[in-house]
Amino acid sequence: MNVLGELALWTALPVAAWGMVLGFLGGRQNRGDMVRSAERAVYATFGLTILASLGVIDTFLNDRFEYWYVASYSSRDLATFYKISGLWAGQRGSLLFWLLLLALFSSIAVWSNSRKNREFMPNVVGTLMTVQTFFLVVLLFADVNPFEQLGFTPVDGNGLNPQLQNYWMTIHPPTLYLGFTAFSIPFAFGVSALLTGRLDSRWITVTRKWTLLSWFFLSNGIVFGMRWAYEELGWGGYWFWDPVENASLLPWLTATAFLHSIQIQENRGMLKIWNMGLVLMTFLLTIFATFLTRSGLIESVHTFAQELKIAYIFLSFMFFIAATGTILILYRLPKLRSESRIESFISRESAFLFNNLVLLAATFAVMWGTLLPLISEGFMGQEISVGPPFFNRVNLPIGLFLLFLMGVGPVIAWRKATPKNLKKNFLGPVIVAAVVGVVLWAMGIRHGMALTTFITSTFVMSIIVVEFWKGTRARSRIEGSGVLPAFWHLVTRNRRRWGGYIVHVGIVMIFTAFAGAPWNVDVEQTLDPGDVAEITSPFGHTYRLTYEGMSTNINDREQNLAWQAVALMTVEKDGRRVGTLSPEKRQYLNRNGNPNATEVGIRSSVAEDLYVILADVDLEGVVGRNDPTAQQAHFRFMVKPLVGFIWGGIMVLSLGGLIGLWPSAEKVRSASTSAPSSGPAVAAAGD
Amino acid sequence: MALFGALLLVSMVVVYLLQPIVQGKSALMQRDYDETTEAEARRRIALLALRDAEFDYHTGKLDQADYSELKSRLAAEALEAIRQVEGVDEADLEAEIRKVREGLREGRACGSCGHLNPAGSKFCAACGTALAARETAGSA
Repeated sequence: MNVLGELALWTALPVAAWGMVLGFLGGRQNRGDMVRSAERAVYATFGLTILASLGVIDTFLNDRFEYWYVASYSSRDLATFYKISGLWAGQRGSLLFWLLLLALFSSIAVWSNSRKNREFMPNVVGTLMTVQTFFLVVLLFADVNPFEQLGFTPVDGNGLNPQLQNYWMTIHPPTLYLGFTAFSIPFAFGVSALLTGRLDSRWITVTRKWTLLSWFFLSNGIVFGMRWAYEELGWGGYWFWDPVENASLLPWLTATAFLHSIQIQENRGMLKIWNMGLVLMTFLLTIFATFLTRSGLIESVHTFAQELKIAYIFLSFMFFIAATGTILILYRLPKLRSESRIESFISRESAFLFNNLVLLAATFAVMWGTLLPLISEGFMGQEISVGPPFFNRVNLPIGLFLLFLMGVGPVIAWRKATPKNLKKNFLGPVIVAAVVGVVLWAMGIRHGMALTTFITSTFVMSIIVVEFWKGTRARSRIEGSGVLPAFWHLVTRNRRRWGGYIVHVGIVMIFTAFAGAPWNVDVEQTLDPGDVAEITSPFGHTYRLTYEGMSTNINDREQNLAWQAVALMTVEKDGRRVGTLSPEKRQYLNRNGNPNATEVGIRSSVAEDLYVILADVDLEGVVGRNDPTAQQAHFRFMVKPLVGFIWGGIMVLSLGGLIGLWPSAEKVRSASTSAPSSGPAVAAAGD
Repeated sequence: MALFGALLLVSMVVVYLLQPIVQGKSALMQRDYDETTEAEARRRIALLALRDAEFDYHTGKLDQADYSELKSRLAAEALEAIRQVEGVDEADLEAEIRKVREGLREGRACGSCGHLNPAGSKFCAACGTALAARETAGSA
């Protein structure tokens, strides 16, 4: 299997290159046979990539430590689950995994378009195969072949970093990669539109669902990463503006901008150049994110010097894509003129445009903050650290403004809104928000940024509620039906719009959670068994935690552990016993030289999380000598208000995304009836 | 054995890739009949704008004066686009629209598929939706 896998990887390179050349050539010469062969190359590369991936998984499952990759990321005692996820645990495997997902999506795109959008397909295939060829070149020639052998067989592998042995960490990278790779499809259609010169909104309509799918996975992937950091890193936070985190945020920001600006192009025929620019930029950022996280650049610029080859290949490819894309856009400039113009400064299209500009500002701020330390260290040998304060100072106002636009945008009419209407639509929500603001102020909330966020969130939420209410009422009037059927029709007839509003609700929840951070409570205490710690939460609850004692568990082979020291705490909330928490220190059996790991104890409720870290304990005494008198331990207790809203928010966001992704009834109907005879008046009655 | 397997894999791939070219099997190269052309896309944009304006009016985002002005302009754009797509001459189109409007007023046009039914119909002949319930919806 492993030999077959490696062979498949080598075979895939000429096959992908074949598909690239014949795709473009067949499109240019209008040769159907060439295009067909190129499309077969897409399927063949997918098949070969599956074989290669199975080969890698096979080397993991059979403990083939003569392979560098297996020796570095696995060990005999690693759980099977983590052996399989070894495919994306390290750089080498994850590059192959990236290719696998891209090949999967490419095949789906080619297959689903085998009878439609044919004029785009030759160049779409050419573009997708260019990207796949690139990844194959990286895998085979940049010293990152997952099938590289050591020349000897170690007795055991180094084992997987214990911090990666976590459920969230297992699903976080694949989800992000799904997001990254799915965006290649809109990019390929965009390039194809430029090459063929069919520059109306067709390419956008065709790839709208792909864009949404990519965005859906990116959002989830980012939040899964936050969840992992929250549970596993043991410092009580979920976001640290770390370069790896930023790398995943960058394409999300531009993809969000793209998701909004394509609506203007579809509805008004404007922003064609802008959209081309955004699709190009987002694609580049997905490659850049992969480069940043998987080239060794992050760890240090110095270790990076040893991996120059992969960096050069990545940078050349990004430069090639950027240059070709820019030239193509410039070449097509005359055909990319807008079909209409913005008629009024106060209109939905200008709100969308603002949203785009603000998102791009955030993108550049994050990029600057991420790259500056690297550039400075690399070129000037000077270490500058750009920490969370910089990112927070820049991005918090940007985020707040976006939140505000989220409320304003939906209510402003397309083309032109009059002050009278604005007043009529905004008055209610503004009053509600103001009342909430006054109440919060009276309750003693004085933190400016947080208070502004709460007020703006209330404003947006009431706008959305009113939108749903008015929409339902209007539909019910039009249809003459009851509220529930009218509501159902409202959402199902324009899933994109109403699904979008639900996504906004999710985003508002997440922003609200961020704004809870100033009220985090953080207490450190050293306790002996029987001692009690008391913490008061910002919501006024009092937690009493009794440290019952420390138990140890040595050599649990099943969990691949050397030992674990578990502190048992009983938790009382306002005098009522609500359960126990057991923060731990663990040592995994591995040869990566990892120090012991911390497992936190978390007790979640809707309003707040109680978060307990076993910060320090006399490990030599507790674990080494099993000494019952050495149980004194140092704890950190935190209360994190509203943090659950992040995880709730992503669920709401996903629900909205799924509503948008669901195949629309309209499409099904138009496919079943030959010629929809509805005149403009009927179409207008839709909504 | 390994060599044999390798040769088999590679030759299968080669045959699979070359077959269309050797046998002249062509992929579809033309756009499909039911696909939107650029003119159709423009019509779609115009109709969408009309739909949005109507909805914005119903939900109170546009006032009467703005809506009337916008609607007549958008309707003109939509008509222009429809003419381009279908090559219908103006009189026909006006008559067609009048018919649909009338139908809507009398509750004969189906609210869900747009089919114009004969007077007195209780159910849509095209999709079977009950028409009676929609008689009050003439204002739409």
